[in-house]
Amino acid sequence: MHAARHSLAAVGHRGLAFPLGLLALAALAALALSVAVGSVTVTPAELWEVALGGGDALSRTLVLELRVPRALSAFATGGLLALAGALMQVLLRNPLADPYVLGLSGGAAVGALAAMLAGLGGLVISGSAFAGALASTLLVFGLAHGTGSWTPARLLLTGVVVAAGWGAVVTLMLAVSPAERLPGMLYWLMGDLSYARTPGYALALLLGVCLLAFPLGRSLNVLARGALQAAALGVAVRPLEWAIYVAASLLTAMAVTTAGSIGFVGLVVPHMLRLVLGNDQRLILPACALAGGTLLMLADALARTLIAPEQLPVGVITALLGVPTFLYLLYRSR
Amino acid sequence: MSRLEARELVIDVPGRRDGRSLDLSLEPGQVWGVLGPNGAGKTTLLHTLAGLRAPRRGTLRLDGESLSALSRRRVARALGLVFQERQDGFPATVRETALIGRHPWLSPWQMEGGEDLKLAEAALERLDVAHLAERLVSTLSGGERQRLAIATVLTQAPAIWLADEPTNHLDLHHQTAVMALLAEQARAGSAVMLCLHDLNLAARWCDQVLLLYPDGEACWGPRDAMLVPGALERLYGQRLATAEIDGAPVFVPVR
Amino acid sequence: MRAGLGLWAGLLLLAVGLPARAEVCATDDAGREVCLPAPAARIAALSPGATELVYAAGAGDKVVAVVDYSDYPPAAQEVPSLGSHTRIDMERLVALRPALVIGWVTGNPPEQLETIEALGVPVFYVEPRSFAGVASAIERLGTLAGTADAANREARRFRDGMAEIRERYADRAPVRVFYQVWDEPLMTINDAHLIGRVLTACGGVNVFGDLERLVPRIGDASVLDADPEAILAGGMGEENRDWLSHWEQYPSLTAVTRDNLFFVPPSLIQRPTPRLLEGSRLFCEKLEDARARR
Repeated sequence: MHAARHSLAAVGHRGLAFPLGLLALAALAALALSVAVGSVTVTPAELWEVALGGGDALSRTLVLELRVPRALSAFATGGLLALAGALMQVLLRNPLADPYVLGLSGGAAVGALAAMLAGLGGLVISGSAFAGALASTLLVFGLAHGTGSWTPARLLLTGVVVAAGWGAVVTLMLAVSPAERLPGMLYWLMGDLSYARTPGYALALLLGVCLLAFPLGRSLNVLARGALQAAALGVAVRPLEWAIYVAASLLTAMAVTTAGSIGFVGLVVPHMLRLVLGNDQRLILPACALAGGTLLMLADALARTLIAPEQLPVGVITALLGVPTFLYLLYRSR
Repeated sequence: MSRLEARELVIDVPGRRDGRSLDLSLEPGQVWGVLGPNGAGKTTLLHTLAGLRAPRRGTLRLDGESLSALSRRRVARALGLVFQERQDGFPATVRETALIGRHPWLSPWQMEGGEDLKLAEAALERLDVAHLAERLVSTLSGGERQRLAIATVLTQAPAIWLADEPTNHLDLHHQTAVMALLAEQARAGSAVMLCLHDLNLAARWCDQVLLLYPDGEACWGPRDAMLVPGALERLYGQRLATAEIDGAPVFVPVR
Repeated sequence: MRAGLGLWAGLLLLAVGLPARAEVCATDDAGREVCLPAPAARIAALSPGATELVYAAGAGDKVVAVVDYSDYPPAAQEVPSLGSHTRIDMERLVALRPALVIGWVTGNPPEQLETIEALGVPVFYVEPRSFAGVASAIERLGTLAGTADAANREARRFRDGMAEIRERYADRAPVRVFYQVWDEPLMTINDAHLIGRVLTACGGVNVFGDLERLVPRIGDASVLDADPEAILAGGMGEENRDWLSHWEQYPSLTAVTRDNLFFVPPSLIQRPTPRLLEGSRLFCEKLEDARARR
């Protein structure tokens, strides 16, 4: 395995092409699969018709209005979460960090549940979740900054405590909310893609951050070895850390806004890829976007069809798929 | 070739009075040894000279330009630092680690090329760790890590070397090899400054010496003027016996 | 050219004539006017209550999709289910091509109802909060389904039945009642809730009627403190006294000493449907029993 690890540095851009190409193929296959399966059967012939711009009205609605937007939302959300997780791990120099470690999902949950509690729907819930996530980001950063400068350890500790605080608020809101609103709230908390219909913004953000991350990739590699070492090697550490923090927060806020707080993708995907591909951020970050998106598309296809017509929250599936895969890779890599 | 000048420099050691401000210049070809007991501020001085910490007062100039006004990238092309402490949160191989020395020389869009890899391989060879190139850093011994850190700076190829106890963890042979490497860098036009605990290495390999006292006092100058038993005994609070072997003074603590 | 003119004139007549004859409109419980070009021949009902109301409106044969627990009338159990009302299987819904979807304001996820509308299927929200609301919902559904005659008949039967109950029990001695909706957590209803209204109609006094929330969460202590004369409860399933036996551990309760612990099948009382009439009669009889044990 280690023989493959340093190939990237040795062979330059070509070293990126093979693993990323493979992951892109996997993503396309997963996309095709999630468009092909559903609780209602659309035959391959009908699918082909629809792909060519024809097909009957029902097949067109099923494929173009329901499956494609949902599959793309799943891809975008998974990619955003995995990318945000990888960035947070570098920012905090802590392999255990995930996109939610700084209390982002808690803030988003409080925002979303407050909107649901007020009986508001759709866009207001999304907007409120986004606002909650950003508020939490600013709160954690402000508190960690305190009167002096922040360190990763201090940021992490502040985030963990703020997250615990949000958790308490969420529990309180669940306790006082009317019974008929509880199912919707619980689905949101578990992560659910059933109302994601507009993947455009999430996909654009994902692509943008991936493109931005490439030129910053080597600086991130150096930063992963510690702030002082990075500064001595010519990295402008503080601006870079700010950029990572803002980017990871935006990515997570967008993901949470699209599909609620889906667990495990942000922690497990970067690790799985590091075990196989090494720790060069120029490869890992785009690989995270592709692999995270693929994982979530597959998980959502299962969530939609496993016990149809009942719809499972996709967060349950990501955990059920992600945990054993991760444990297996970890076991094999010793 | 580069020179680093400190003017009326007071390093910021929390809770210590200013003491004596430093006015010195690291010139191409010089090897400076910084001596002082634990807590005298040797590491703080090195980090301050590298621009990683702000001084309490005074100015630093790299080739005539104010150090704090230069970009980190520009500084890193001229000045390399061997750290005493290293952290490794994420797994990385020895070769990858040496290669990051090329970071300041590559544009953001550039990947490390064959030339960079050759430089890194040569540095690993020079530090006698090439056979470990595939190993994960976390599996190395302390001495091997120390040599890898020096190989990384060698790959960086700075004109000014600041090395914090570069002989830590090294066996006798590798201590000598590392000192010889640094002396060779100086002969080729680099300026070198080392923090050392071993008086005898300083006596043997350095031409300039800076003595740092715990109270902030300091004195510096040519080696022979500095390495006198009286000053050293006051520096460490330790009586010394002196002899001359192989053309250099040797200091041994008295029981 | 002349033939073309004639064709245009014919089309114009059709365009003016047809929709005016067939279009049906009704205002839903969210206050929106919903119009269909023609009475709906295929209806999806997204709550068990909505299913009952559509059947009550005489449009049972037009129901093409229901959700889990749509068990009444028994014929509804044969209709394809879209899963839980909290997460509808959208694909199956679309594949069943409904012309009208009956939504549940507080039960269905708003995002999914919005999506259904975005796909061009009109959504009619139903959530009756009064006896008059139940009757009117039946009538409005009858209008949209083109079964107004049957619907109006059923609505009249329901209105008259409820009026008769109210009349009969208006002057009966008040009975202090606690109605238990759920056990863990313990939940009841206030006076504004439909069950609260049934209770009032039967001459009962809801001991928690003044609480602010429609379905308040309370504790055993509140019940002991209120000391109701009768406790009425539903439970899991149709014949299950588990929730009631819980109260027997408190012999100080008046309801326990007088043996006024009554089971009322939840499906008769907890759904805003015409079966409420049957449930109300049962409810009132229980309170009569309680009065008899004084």
